[in-house]
Amino acid sequence: MLPFIIRRFFFLIFVLFGVSVLIFGILMTFSPERRAAAYVTTPQQAKDIPKIIKQFGLDDPFYHQYFRWIKEVAKGNLGWSLVAARPVGEAFWRYFPVTLEMNLFAAPIVIFFGIWLGSVSGIHRDTWVDHSTRIFAIIGWSLPTFLFALILLMVFYGYFQAFSPGVLSDELTLFIIDNPDKFTPYTGMYTIDGILNGRLDIALDGLHHLVLPIITYVIVVVALNMRVMRSGIIEELSKDYVLTARAKGADNKTVNFKHARRNALLPVVTVAGQLVALSMEGSVSVEVVYNRHGIGWWLAESATQLDMPVLMCICLFMGVVFVITNLILDIMYAVIDPRIRLN
Amino acid sequence: MKRLSFLLVFLCSFILFACAEKPSDTSQEIADLNEKIANLTQENEELKKKIDELTQQLAKPEIKNPDTFILANYGNLRTLDPCVAYDVTSSQRLWNIYEPLIFFDGSHTDKYKPLVAMEVPTLENGGISEDGRTYKFTIRKGIKFHEGQSLTPEDVVYTFKRNMIADPDGGPMWMLLEALTGEGSTRDKEGKIIPGIYEKIDKCVEAKGDQVIFHLPKPYPPFMGILAYSSSVILSKQWCIANGCWDGNIKNASKFNNPAPGHEPLLKIANGTNAYKMKSWEPNKEFVFERFDGYWGPQPKLKRAIVKYVKEWSTRKLMLQNGDADRVRVDNPYVPEVKAIKGLKFYEVPLLSVSAAFFCQKVNPTGNPNIGSGKLDGKGIPPDFFSDINVRKAFLHAFDRKTYAQDVFNNLVIMPTSPNVKGLPYHKDVPVYEFDVNKARDYMQKAWGGQAWEKGFKMIITHNTGNEMREAAAHMMAENIMSLNPKFQIEVRNVEWKDYLVQYRNFMFPIFIIGWGADYPDPHNFMYTFMHSRGVYGRYMAYQNDEVDKLCEAGIANVDPKEREKVYHRLQDLWYAEAIGNTIYQQIVVRAYRDWVHGFVPNAMLTDANEMLMDIHKQ
Repeated sequence: MLPFIIRRFFFLIFVLFGVSVLIFGILMTFSPERRAAAYVTTPQQAKDIPKIIKQFGLDDPFYHQYFRWIKEVAKGNLGWSLVAARPVGEAFWRYFPVTLEMNLFAAPIVIFFGIWLGSVSGIHRDTWVDHSTRIFAIIGWSLPTFLFALILLMVFYGYFQAFSPGVLSDELTLFIIDNPDKFTPYTGMYTIDGILNGRLDIALDGLHHLVLPIITYVIVVVALNMRVMRSGIIEELSKDYVLTARAKGADNKTVNFKHARRNALLPVVTVAGQLVALSMEGSVSVEVVYNRHGIGWWLAESATQLDMPVLMCICLFMGVVFVITNLILDIMYAVIDPRIRLN
Repeated sequence: MKRLSFLLVFLCSFILFACAEKPSDTSQEIADLNEKIANLTQENEELKKKIDELTQQLAKPEIKNPDTFILANYGNLRTLDPCVAYDVTSSQRLWNIYEPLIFFDGSHTDKYKPLVAMEVPTLENGGISEDGRTYKFTIRKGIKFHEGQSLTPEDVVYTFKRNMIADPDGGPMWMLLEALTGEGSTRDKEGKIIPGIYEKIDKCVEAKGDQVIFHLPKPYPPFMGILAYSSSVILSKQWCIANGCWDGNIKNASKFNNPAPGHEPLLKIANGTNAYKMKSWEPNKEFVFERFDGYWGPQPKLKRAIVKYVKEWSTRKLMLQNGDADRVRVDNPYVPEVKAIKGLKFYEVPLLSVSAAFFCQKVNPTGNPNIGSGKLDGKGIPPDFFSDINVRKAFLHAFDRKTYAQDVFNNLVIMPTSPNVKGLPYHKDVPVYEFDVNKARDYMQKAWGGQAWEKGFKMIITHNTGNEMREAAAHMMAENIMSLNPKFQIEVRNVEWKDYLVQYRNFMFPIFIIGWGADYPDPHNFMYTFMHSRGVYGRYMAYQNDEVDKLCEAGIANVDPKEREKVYHRLQDLWYAEAIGNTIYQQIVVRAYRDWVHGFVPNAMLTDANEMLMDIHKQ
């Protein structure tokens, strides 16, 4: 298995090179003026656009600009984020934990709830259970995330005055600001840092602020997983080995959960893996509505403002995430299905 | 028995005597009773008051965070370096942390109060020389920076020199450079240092005793307004040098010129003298101010203030509704929504800003879809279509100002008659081209010798994405012009803001709709921008009028208020006579506070992104 993993990581270099050339090439299709405009916000500042082009060499040939960027990346300098007002690397480590924290809680729910719901639906095909779960899935999948997030916020925060937006309450935020010696942000995730610092109130408050974002994300995303699982179960239940198992006297529980569900898991693992990988770039709607400034929010802001170093950074990051996700998926295939050999 | 009877009679008599009321004075009795009634009434009133207070307290939500002011805003703070910061969000932070020599006095935009200076210099007190070229400021003693340094005149001199030497691209330093050196930049168009510029910077400001003296190459009437701007706040020389700013040696100035974004030394640190200091800054999350106990002036009432970055309007609205924010930024379309929330109070503040539709008289024809075929053949317009004044007048008559103000702004707007908007010196209302489709038709029939009417035309009016006010103006012009003749075809398109900035500068738009906010409260900042052939907008309209150019230049070169009044009145008349553009709105912003917030002082120079924390308290 080790050579397989090493080989995959070796390929990562080529993937990143390809991604960077592609994204850089796409961004170069914008005129130098347009790229320089990223540095200005008002008509007053716009008069300096020609000077900005000169200062940053934005009218140099593509390869000049690309190698200049590569040279800086090799030095560990990913550039300056205009949106974050920080170096890209530093900004990334500020925003990424916010996205990761939500995914740490949401991903297991999406995966296991999706598998369970899909299994129940497939096993009880064409019964009221199946119809109900399918309706739930269709509604969840069709709901515009932005709208759904807003509705939840209006009901729970606006009406019941519970689950306020943000990542932590003002009181605890000020406590952390006032007492830097009493709270160390080890991970940037309040739920985990709260526990590590022995401050359960901070951990719980962080979790409290995660409730609505997680509900929104899970209800919207779980549908896909559930439908794939349902199809898999239905397909597996119609296969001969299931009939054989039943003929041999195996009970429903054994047939459904031991035989059929395990075989139906392969496509679900693929979908779940891709979903988790995708979730690493954050959910723009969830982060904007609940005022959680993570990677999704940063990416959206940077895309609209053409903050090039950020776009390059996030694209490269997503390249790494997908390569690693696919590697993990391949390993998981072999674990789930012993017939699959990694080499 | 007799004895016993006698004893009983005696005892009864005694008891009766004892129990009998004293013979009373009736008037005294009434007075006593009245006093009792008065006391009871007073007690009753007090109890009523207490009940009322308790009822009110029960009815009203509790003041959340009583010693902290929370503002939910969406402005992106990019830097804390005063020589780089050139946006309203950064100015808000800088004005609350640092202090300039002078600042706007209350709601006035033309009167100043001294801050770091002991008094505001005037001609009368000798602070300003007769020729308007020398300004003297006596520096206040006993001012401390947040990090403990004492403020001296040397700090003031260093600040101005340091900021002008740095002069980053896209920054605000052109204002001070123009006033103090006569140049708008330290670099030419190619980005090369202008010879002798550092020597000029070195000589333009000096310290003498407890005074700081500015030497201007020529009179510059808006100079005081520029000194109140956030790029003129005073820094500590010692602290700046320790943090990598200019070392104070003019020979090394070029090393510190034009720092790249992210490389300005004071980007994320601050050390001012104002009543609040920076406690923490999490970019795009929150900025925390904390009261500075060593402030030289009266202490502010609030201990802290937090400015939160909340982009989504619904989230901001709910925060205000729940009392989790004391004020949120409200864009005009949401004003009716926010006015329905209970427990708020509102201020309507007209701003020194104006949006206008500009007619470009020389559009770039290369690959430009906005002018169709580029010819007057019914499928496009020629690049110089708007050079014909009849076309411009027709478009002006096609704009229904009353309906626009009513439908788009609910009349919560000032409809400006020229770029010299209300609130600026020398403002006057000039005539406007009233909405009249017949007049618009007449002008279109005359335009281009009648060919425009006969052949028709096709063009695109653009507005920046998301600006509903400008979108409505574009549609109004388009639809009213199209109603004149079926051969007139106008499409309205939106363009993303940054693209818009680039494209109007490339002469791509036959009509571009854009706004301008005051850098300083003087007509020069508006009239030169809008009308001069080298102004920020005048240039991109390709508008050229020698009289206008001369007047714009005369306006800034003259210190005599009467002469300036003549100049700017004439320019405002020319704006109408020449039908240069269509000033479509001067915005009135609505500021929505929780009703427990007091002390806000409106000022037309301070936009809704701003909040002067010193003024406000919660009660």
